[in-house]
Formats: sequence, C-alpha cells, structure tokens
Amino acid sequence: MNSDQLADGSVTGRIQSDRALLASRQIKHVVVLGANGTMGYGSAALFTTAVPRVTFLARTTKKAQAGLDSAIKQVRSATVASRADVGSYQDDLEAALETADLIFEAVAEDMAIKQQIFDLVEKHRRPDSIVATVSSGLSINQLAAGRSDSFRANFCGLHFFNPPNVIVGTELVANDHTDAEMLDFLEVFCRLRLGREMVRTKDTPAFAGNRVGFKVLNECAQLADQLGPLLVDKIVGPYTGRALTPLATIDLVGWDVHRAIVDNIWELTDDEAKPTLKLPDSMASLMAKGVLGRKSGGGFFARSDQGNTVLDLASGSYLPEEEIQLPPMPYVAEIADLYSQARYAEGMQILLAAKGDEAALARKVVAGYISYAFMRVGEVCESITEIDRIMGAGFNWAPPSVLVDLMGPAAAVRMLGEAGVAVPDALANAGPSDRFFQHPTVNTGRFFVAA
Amino acid sequence: MQGHLGAFFTEVDPVFSGLPTGRHEAACASGSIALLAASAEIEAGRYDLQAVVGIEQMKTVPASLGGSYLGTAAWYEKEAEGIDFPFPKLFGRLGDEYDKRYGLADEHLAEISRLNYDNAKLNPNAQTRTWYMNKEHALARDDMNAEVGGRIRLADCSQVTDGAVCVFLASREYATKYATARGINLSDIPRIKGWGHNTARLLFADKVRESREAEYVLPHVRSTITSAMARAGIADVFGSDGGEQIHGIETHDCFTTSEYMAIDHFGITAPGESWKAVEDGWLEIDGKTPVNPSGGLIGAGHPVGATGVRQLLDAHKQVTETAGHYQIPGARNVQTLNIGGSGTTSVSFVVGVD
Repeated sequence: MNSDQLADGSVTGRIQSDRALLASRQIKHVVVLGANGTMGYGSAALFTTAVPRVTFLARTTKKAQAGLDSAIKQVRSATVASRADVGSYQDDLEAALETADLIFEAVAEDMAIKQQIFDLVEKHRRPDSIVATVSSGLSINQLAAGRSDSFRANFCGLHFFNPPNVIVGTELVANDHTDAEMLDFLEVFCRLRLGREMVRTKDTPAFAGNRVGFKVLNECAQLADQLGPLLVDKIVGPYTGRALTPLATIDLVGWDVHRAIVDNIWELTDDEAKPTLKLPDSMASLMAKGVLGRKSGGGFFARSDQGNTVLDLASGSYLPEEEIQLPPMPYVAEIADLYSQARYAEGMQILLAAKGDEAALARKVVAGYISYAFMRVGEVCESITEIDRIMGAGFNWAPPSVLVDLMGPAAAVRMLGEAGVAVPDALANAGPSDRFFQHPTVNTGRFFVAA
Repeated sequence: MQGHLGAFFTEVDPVFSGLPTGRHEAACASGSIALLAASAEIEAGRYDLQAVVGIEQMKTVPASLGGSYLGTAAWYEKEAEGIDFPFPKLFGRLGDEYDKRYGLADEHLAEISRLNYDNAKLNPNAQTRTWYMNKEHALARDDMNAEVGGRIRLADCSQVTDGAVCVFLASREYATKYATARGINLSDIPRIKGWGHNTARLLFADKVRESREAEYVLPHVRSTITSAMARAGIADVFGSDGGEQIHGIETHDCFTTSEYMAIDHFGITAPGESWKAVEDGWLEIDGKTPVNPSGGLIGAGHPVGATGVRQLLDAHKQVTETAGHYQIPGARNVQTLNIGGSGTTSVSFVVGVD
C-alpha cells in the first residue's frame, strides 16, 4: 500500500513538492534514546538505511551495545555497525545531542520516565533539531506540555509498528504547536527515504491503528473466555481478512503490551464500544502467574514436544490441540476456495449468508471492526482512508473500507444492524454504487488468505 | 510441458469467454516472446487489440526446489541436474568470463546491487522497498550475504517473486480511434518503435566458446539490442548521429553480472569497460543513461514469466511521465532487454513517443 503515487500516477505537483520538501532539511545524524528496547533498536536499524550516523543511547553503554547487536540481527546486516555508535545517557548524551538532526525517543512507555529524558533533551538539543517519540499510547500534547517553544514546534509522535524494518505502516502525530513544515518534511523523509506508509492521526489514545486494532483483538480475547482460544481463532480466521489470527496476534505482541494498550484506551475513552475494551479478568490473573504470550513460552497457544497446545483459560493448563472438538464450519472452506480464485466479493457473500452461531459471531466481530473504524472518523483522524491505510500497512488486515466495498454498502449496513453495533452515517447514507476504499494501486487481494 | 495457462484467461472473468488466447514460453524471456507474438499478429492484420499478461507464482515452493525448476531454463541434464541453484552459478561464470577477458572488480557488482535497491525504494510496486541494503553489505563476505554460486552472493541476486502484469498492444487504426475518442494525440501514445530477438547456443560453455574471438562476450545479445535500435531508427544509445537517443534502459539484471554485461552490450561503454559507467554514476536516474530506474529484477523483483512485460510497462511509464518518483526526466525513448536462460534467448524493445 502506498501514497507515493497520485491516482492518475502523474509526476507533476505532488512529486515536485515532495522533492522540494526533502531538500528543505537534512537528517545526517539521528540519536535514538532507549536503543536497547525492541522499538529502539528496530527503529535505529531502520534509520541506518538512510542516515549516515545513528547513535544508540541507553542507560549504560553495555545496554546500547546490546541494542546495536540486536539491530544487526534484526536486519541481518553487519553494516549497521559502520553507521552506528553507542553510548550512555550520562557520558554521551550531551555531545550526541549537539549534532543530532533527529532525536528519536524510545524509552519505557511511562510519562515520568519520558519526561525525565526530555528534560535532558531540552537542555542539550539544538533549537532546530526534530524530536520524535515512538510512544504508542501516551498523549503527544501531554509529553510536550511545559516545554520550550522550539521543542514543541519540532516535536511529534512517530509511531512505528514492530518490527519497523518489516511493517511499513507508521503514524505521524502532531501536538498543538507542531510546526507544519517540519511535519511535512518528516512525513516525506519517512515515506521516500525509509519506505514508510505514513498516516496522520490526531493525538487521541492509542491513535488510529491500535485503537481500532486492539478493540477487535480484545473482543476476541473476551470471546475466548466462553468459547476457548482455538474456536475463536477459527471463527475470526484468515478468511475474515487477516494473515495472522487475533489471539495468535496477542501472543505475538505480548499479553503485557496488549494489556497496556487496552487499559489505556479503557481509561481514557468513552465510546459506544467501551465494553469490548475491558481486559478479560482471566487474562489478568494468568498474567500474574507469568503468562505473557510467545515471549514467556506460551499464551493462548503454546508449542511443546507433543505438538500444538491450547490454553484452558479457567484452569491455566494447556490441552493438546487435537483433543479439542470444534463445531463444523463448512462455509470457511467454501470461502477459502473462492479466495484462492480471487473471487473475494463472492466469498464475502458466503460469509454474509452463512448459517449457525459461529458464522453469526464472525459477522459480529467483523461488523464491530467496520463500525468502530467508521465511528472514529473525525475523532482519531480526518477520514476513513487513514484508518484503512494503517489497518492495511500496520496490521496487515483487510481495511474496513475494503470489506464494505466487497459486501456492498447495503449488505454491510444490514450486517451491522444484525450485530447490534452502531451504524455510521457514512454507511447508512451510502448509495449502492458508492465505494469507500481510496487506493486504486493497492492489490486488496493480498489481505485475503485462502485458509 | 503442457500447462494450458492461456485458457485460464477465461477464468479471470466470464466476459473473456470466447476470446482467442494462447500461452508463450521462453524461460525468463517468456513475457517478451508473448509481446513479440502479439505485435506480429497485429502487424499481420489478424487482430487490432491484444492483452499481453505476464504472470508467475514462485513462492509456493521452497527456494531450492524453485531453483531446480528454474534450472530447466538451462540444458537441464548438462548444466543443472543435481546442482543447487544452477542459475547463480551460470551467471557467476559470466562474471568469471569478464574477469578473464577484461578484469572484473566485485566492487562494481556491489554498486549495481546498491543502485537497484535504491531505485526500488522509489517504486511503490517493488518487492525490496523495505529490505536492508547498501554497497558495503553487497560487498560483505559474511553469512548475512552468503555465497549462492561462485562469485554470486545473495545481494547479487534478483528475487523470488509472485507477480503479474498486463499491457495492451493495439494497431495504429485502433490506437487512432482510442486517441480520437479521448481527445488525445496519437503521437502521445507510446509505441513499440523497434524490436530485436535472437537465440544463442543453449549451453553457457558453447556461448563463450563461440564468442572467444568476438568483440562482445554475448554477441547474440548485442545483436538483439542493436537490431531493436536499428528498427527504431536510432543509431546508438547516445544518438551519436545527432538523431534520437535512448533515454533510459530497463534491463535483465537477474544477477549483477547480467547488468554488468548489459552495460557494454548496450554500447554505454566500450566492451569490457562497464565499470566506467558504474563508477561515473551514469546509471543513476539522473545520470547519462539511467539503467533500471524501476529497481529492475534485483530491486523490483523477478516474477520470471512476467518480467519482460513488466519491463515494457515500465518503459511505457517512463515515456508517458507516469513513473512517479523513479521518473527519468524527459524520457522519450526507453529500451528493454529481456533474457531467457544463460543469455540464450534475448529480446529487446524500444518504446517511445515522437
């Protein structure tokens, strides 16, 4: 998915202004704060693709060196080292900030810790340097509050998704005082030099991608309490427009990360779908016992010598996958077969018409996703296009508009009504031939896995 | 091998039922062979509009098995059977042949890789847009840039790619009607100004034996290129006679060595001096003769049967100024080179506007 090209592919206008913007500033030295963390070293590695010098900083030089070693492994190139140097906040931050064109903050997701490091940044940065935070949840305005004018003008959120060298979807978030030209420059720099799919969002909790995405993931985690993880991931399987199933996704990102994101949204927002954002108690109590997903050896799913096992949320024990009986869902194979022939709209019609509780539940989750995304337009971003782009390029899910276009607006509205979720005006008022997805050059078939 | 792939066109949409279809094959030059057949049928007056579809699905099998399948583009029993990744080894030998005749520095091959990856970052359809590459990495001799065959390492290789592309070729009459209906000038619609096509001996050893006394390492590839230029009325790549020139090239860089070969075979430099064009930056998008602004097979990807058609489409984008960020400024004539096997089948098109 890209926004490089205008709908007609023309080079004039947009491309010339992109080139002018790109030439308007230089980024020759990036300083990454918190370069030992996953997002820190992943982002630092990404910067070395386009920037001659990237400084990895952490609490100790040893930690920063560990970050550099991880960065090399992440992108599989020892040449990262020839563009990188390492150091500690105490010994090297001051000198590094003097020459930094971009200061990229990736320390722990904690307001106090970030403020502490920004105090140092404020003290030693050049007034024209850009300061960006990779925060996925904290308010950009709150982070900027009380800072100098030049800090606030050059400060924004630059939210990469993990791992940054693989997932190109990136959110760009201004604070109320961000300089518009700086933001335009950073957007073009990231798009053209770092190969990013840039999406502008407002400074709202979890921004656009995680707000919509984790709502769906958490709803699936809630369903797992009653139905068990295996059945949930079968019901909301790849045929619903995603490569990785929801609970497997939570296992991959980590239960602790999932909790931090949904708790943040739960606390700071109050919208029509609030109940779906409550972390299930079962997850909270299992986390207290150390269950964190793949990084702790298992989450909803685990692999053992005996094969794949599935978590029983009530007891906390794992059962062999083959011992779990699932109800027959013949429509899934039918849809997968149609997808394998690129007949996506017909596949969607099968989903809409399928009988049984499982199919109804699948429609409920998909309807919740579409409804929640469209209802957030205006609140988290300007148009549905931004949400479409971040769901496609950040989560690798079929964007909500793509699903609506495949179903047809009337059928989508009927499905939302039956699911009992809010029907957004944009859909309710749509004509039969209205289409919502605005990226003519994107092959939307890639979101539909024939499985 | 029977596949009947042409008939699957009717399955894309029922509306195509009843249209004549056919499948064409010449290893990695398949796409261009299909273009040649389609244009010949138009010139013969049989049809006035042809859809040429290039398509390849390669990622459904492991790389080693895919490499073995691709080995059938060589003389399988003699050059590929029982060999892991036969083609990197064959094109490694092309580099060795240059080394023997003229000398060849790995640094120049690394620079070719670097340029293709850099250009690919500007192409929204390129496969390697987010991949990690730089010249130093392409030169690295570690397990992150592992040897694949002889002097060919990972960074020297084109990609295993799933991809498809479609172009439409039309007769002058059809294009005139199309232009009139849309209020555009016929002269603004790109046309195939010239084509070249040649086939050399199948075995790589026979090719280099035949060319031992010749000016070029692959003389039949050279003749494919020059005959396309001649048919287009273009004297040479620089338009040295004061006439039209080639403003950019989309060439078959299945490996860095094949692009290195193409540079002198196109006449950008004297034979054996491709390195000069690499060192002087002539191949960059804003250089003297840009090569593979799309990223080529290394950067954009190499869906084998689709590549020739993709090259023609990219040539079309360049001469219509619709190539976005990889646009060659002011390009009016762009030439392609598509190769099947180890330089066995070669096809070239000159695409341009007046």
